[in-house]
Amino acid sequence: MSIDTHAHHDAHADGGHHEPPEVVDGRQRMSIWLFIGGDALTLAALVFTYLYLRGVNTSGHWMSMLGYPGPQLPGGHSWSYYDANVFNGSNPASPTNVVVGPLSAGLNWLGTAVTAASAGLIWLAERALRVAKNKKAFTTLAALGTIFAFVAILISFHQLSLIPQIYSIHNDSAVMAFTAYGSSMMIIIGSGIVHLILLVFLGIGLTLRSARGAINLENWYQSRLVRMFWVWVAISAVAISALTTTINTIH
Amino acid sequence: MPKSMSQTMHLSILTMVVFSVSAAPVAAGVYAATLYIMRNWAHKGEGVPAAAPAVRESAKTVITWTLTSVILTVFLLIWGLGALAVDSSGASSNPLVVNVTGQQWVWSFQYAGPNGTKVESNDLYLPEGREVVFHVTSLDVTHGFWVPQMGVQIDANEGTFTEIHTTPNKLGTFDVRCTQFCGLNHAYMVTQGHVLTPSAFTTWLNAQPARS
Amino acid sequence: MTTTLEHKAPVIKHEGGGLARHQNFLTAMIGGVAGAFIAWAISHHLLDGNVRTTGDAVAVLTGLGWIVGFWFGIGALNAPFAWLIGKDQNRQDQLYYAGEDQGTKRYWKYCTDHKVVGVQYIVMTMVLLGAGGILAMAIRTELIVPGNHFVNQQVYNGFIAVHGMLMILALIVAVAGPWGNFVVPIMCGAKDMAFPRLNALSLWTLVGAAGLLLTTLAVGSLTMGWVVLAPITDQAGVGMDFFALSILVFTVSTTVAGVNTICTVFTMRTKGMTLERLPIMVWGAIIAAALGLYAFPYFSLVEALQILDRTASTSFFVGTGGGTGWLQANLFWLMGHPEVYVILIPAVAALFEIAAVMARKPVFSYRTAVAGMTGLAGLSILVWAHHMFTTGWAPTLGGPFMVTTELISIPTGLFFLVLIGTLWRGNIWMKLPTVWMFGFIANFIIAGITGIYLSDIPIDNQLHGTMFVTAHFHYVFVGSVLFGAIAALAFWYPKVTGRFLDEKLGRISFWLSFIGVQVTFLAMFVSGLRGMPRRYSSYSFIFEHTNFISTMGAYMIMAGMLVLGGAVIYCWNHGEPSGSNPWHANSLEWLVSTPPPLENFDVLPVITEDPYNFEKEMVLS
Repeated sequence: MSIDTHAHHDAHADGGHHEPPEVVDGRQRMSIWLFIGGDALTLAALVFTYLYLRGVNTSGHWMSMLGYPGPQLPGGHSWSYYDANVFNGSNPASPTNVVVGPLSAGLNWLGTAVTAASAGLIWLAERALRVAKNKKAFTTLAALGTIFAFVAILISFHQLSLIPQIYSIHNDSAVMAFTAYGSSMMIIIGSGIVHLILLVFLGIGLTLRSARGAINLENWYQSRLVRMFWVWVAISAVAISALTTTINTIH
Repeated sequence: MPKSMSQTMHLSILTMVVFSVSAAPVAAGVYAATLYIMRNWAHKGEGVPAAAPAVRESAKTVITWTLTSVILTVFLLIWGLGALAVDSSGASSNPLVVNVTGQQWVWSFQYAGPNGTKVESNDLYLPEGREVVFHVTSLDVTHGFWVPQMGVQIDANEGTFTEIHTTPNKLGTFDVRCTQFCGLNHAYMVTQGHVLTPSAFTTWLNAQPARS
Repeated sequence: MTTTLEHKAPVIKHEGGGLARHQNFLTAMIGGVAGAFIAWAISHHLLDGNVRTTGDAVAVLTGLGWIVGFWFGIGALNAPFAWLIGKDQNRQDQLYYAGEDQGTKRYWKYCTDHKVVGVQYIVMTMVLLGAGGILAMAIRTELIVPGNHFVNQQVYNGFIAVHGMLMILALIVAVAGPWGNFVVPIMCGAKDMAFPRLNALSLWTLVGAAGLLLTTLAVGSLTMGWVVLAPITDQAGVGMDFFALSILVFTVSTTVAGVNTICTVFTMRTKGMTLERLPIMVWGAIIAAALGLYAFPYFSLVEALQILDRTASTSFFVGTGGGTGWLQANLFWLMGHPEVYVILIPAVAALFEIAAVMARKPVFSYRTAVAGMTGLAGLSILVWAHHMFTTGWAPTLGGPFMVTTELISIPTGLFFLVLIGTLWRGNIWMKLPTVWMFGFIANFIIAGITGIYLSDIPIDNQLHGTMFVTAHFHYVFVGSVLFGAIAALAFWYPKVTGRFLDEKLGRISFWLSFIGVQVTFLAMFVSGLRGMPRRYSSYSFIFEHTNFISTMGAYMIMAGMLVLGGAVIYCWNHGEPSGSNPWHANSLEWLVSTPPPLENFDVLPVITEDPYNFEKEMVLS
């Protein structure tokens, strides 16, 4: 096995790459676009799932289910209550068709607004570094954008906790189940959380790296790569909010 | 092939024959070309074969080949779509309706009996010459309702009905098999069917215990 | 430039690498098991054991613990966390990760050298094919006579499902893994892939996913086919959860590999290597990669939905909650059909390459080859519901899907044109790769034609769900793709090892396999035509003759594969030496030494023509 005999064993400050940063950056930008493309397809598949289930409305149960209302619904109770008083208890009331309403549009848009704001901050951060040549502003804005993304995660978890559950008995066992609408919202919000966690990771990276000098006035390319993906996540959040706040109930 | 007992099956077999006749020359051509190549141009002897005359492109060949395959494909499509249209046109105004229910791991059949009653059966009985419409559903997982002798197959899904129709045109027994994997005893979800003369069918139907 | 076959690198003490100096397959396994155990212990304690879904939730979290621990143990997480805190790799680290001076140890590690990754993919392909093959033999042995004598139905049903998934996984990577990694970067004139660390990630993530899939067998398995249709998946044990998670993990591997391949080809071609001068193999690699990037997100989505239905009581596929099994079928087949072309296209591209070199003339109508592969990939996006003709899902869409599906025969036919056109009036070198290539042609025509039968709805209404379908796709996967993969292996084996794959053993294997394929699957067509459904653990006596014949054929295939496997292992170090360009080809991988230097080229070459001019033999200056 021949060994690389070039005299390149000295450590470069260029992160070990042989090649100039613009070349590496071009490559990495293509990969970000490909990844965004794949992510867009995943978003399309999520939208397909949501609209398909709503369109099919199996047995009329897009937003309803036979059972007992869970804690998020008016007059509802917890699983342990129903488990004691319905499943194993005496004189249980018969299950009814529990109808749920759409999730709060306000909360939906709040989460999206915070995500969009975080994207805006990251975009400003990149501009500060690249145009205004202000590394300190970059660090601050990146940190702020990361915090906003973290807040968006908290809002999303809150949204998840508000998805109505229905206590339903199925084949001799009981569960707290979700309607098709609730299920679709769950996967959509869940996907959002996964993306936001990735953004928080990237944001922490941007902040720490610029604080330590790995991102600087000459080497700003990674801030652009992250910004591209961040802005995409914000755009997809807006698209999904627009869909789910306008097309939900069936009339 | 299982013996044909319906018009649908007859059309299916005919389509298979048409496809085979159309495909045979294509397959024969490819095999012939390949054998010809091996016979004529296999390098004999040791050593590295010399370069062969480089032919990078031949627009004529590509166009001819593509055009031929397009024509063949369009022909098969026209036949297939035509066969589909013929089969879909349920002509009868008074078809026999049979509700087919699949469950792990049996088939059961339900007929409309006399005076609004319902008749249940574990075997499938059909009158010859009358169009039958199967309304198929499942009580649990997805099953595949298939009558091999009649060329009809449709899934049985929980919570909804699917529909397929045919006209039996031969007396005798047939099989009902499950074609959609449905669990442990999928291989044993088989039952029998019988095509009877219309009068024998009516006799059978009236003799069954009826439920309202 | 001298070529040496002995890998006796002088042992120089290396400074770079950091934590990676201590990480390898063993630490990965330890990390995986530890992660799984910790995740199990925590989730087992925190979740309410009385709830029906807890068992599945614990299984999913345990599986997640496995993969995170595995990644940690192999060193996949080193770079992301180093990036996070602003500590980048220096040149020393980079060279360590590339395996410099580590000898054969680097094959057990997270090595970024694409040639090492290529060899690791050869090993993974053989492991997956071997495991799937053992299950295949078990299946055929059970079906040798009617009745359940060898294993019971439950076990058998598990075998057919896991056999399916293992083989699909093996074939997705069979050509694109070893050769997309080892050969394609060199063919482009690049020093490595665009993202070497992602390359190692895609390989080791596949290993982690395979671990989850093999665990499925141990915990009650899948029992509803690899297609895992809802709602029957509701009845599955925790094997289903491991399966679903393995798919989510596998999608990471394949997405990363796809992005890597495309970026490499589009940004790292050497000077003069225009898209038209690329070896046709490279086109196959990027077309398949792009199609995979389109298709696999559907798979991970549908498995995520299965996991949610099983652990969170959602209603995606449950009718009582407004869901429908048809959603699962649609999402699955949106992935499932393009995916078979992700499997087929690299094999076909490799065969184009082999045909040109072995016939000593250029690929016939290079543009048709590219157009055919692209057209096939594009059309494949529009055909998925032909798997659902008999579901009753959308009868009115039957006609349109029939049209799109039958149109696929046109680009597929173009593959025959290119192959036959390349071989026509050639000077054909009848060596092992050529032999397997001819086998492909013979089998692929049957595979293609029987597919056309199934695309026609009146015929499909009769043949769907029967052994006819099984025979059709085994002609595709075994008769065509596997034969293409073995041709590729025989072709590039000398570049990897410096030795030929033994001609005699290779031909014995070929004839056993080729005859075995015809015997097994032609008899299987008859079983289907006579009315035998698929996924049957036992069958009526009217099918016993054809099944017996199929089983005999299967044993022949097994014998052929064992001979081949033995030859691959034996010839690695003991085969006849080949030199660095045994086929006297002109694409760049043949012009570098065997084995190629760490970064492939001392000086990046400048390209002035395509590699199909066999009048002269090129050398790297």
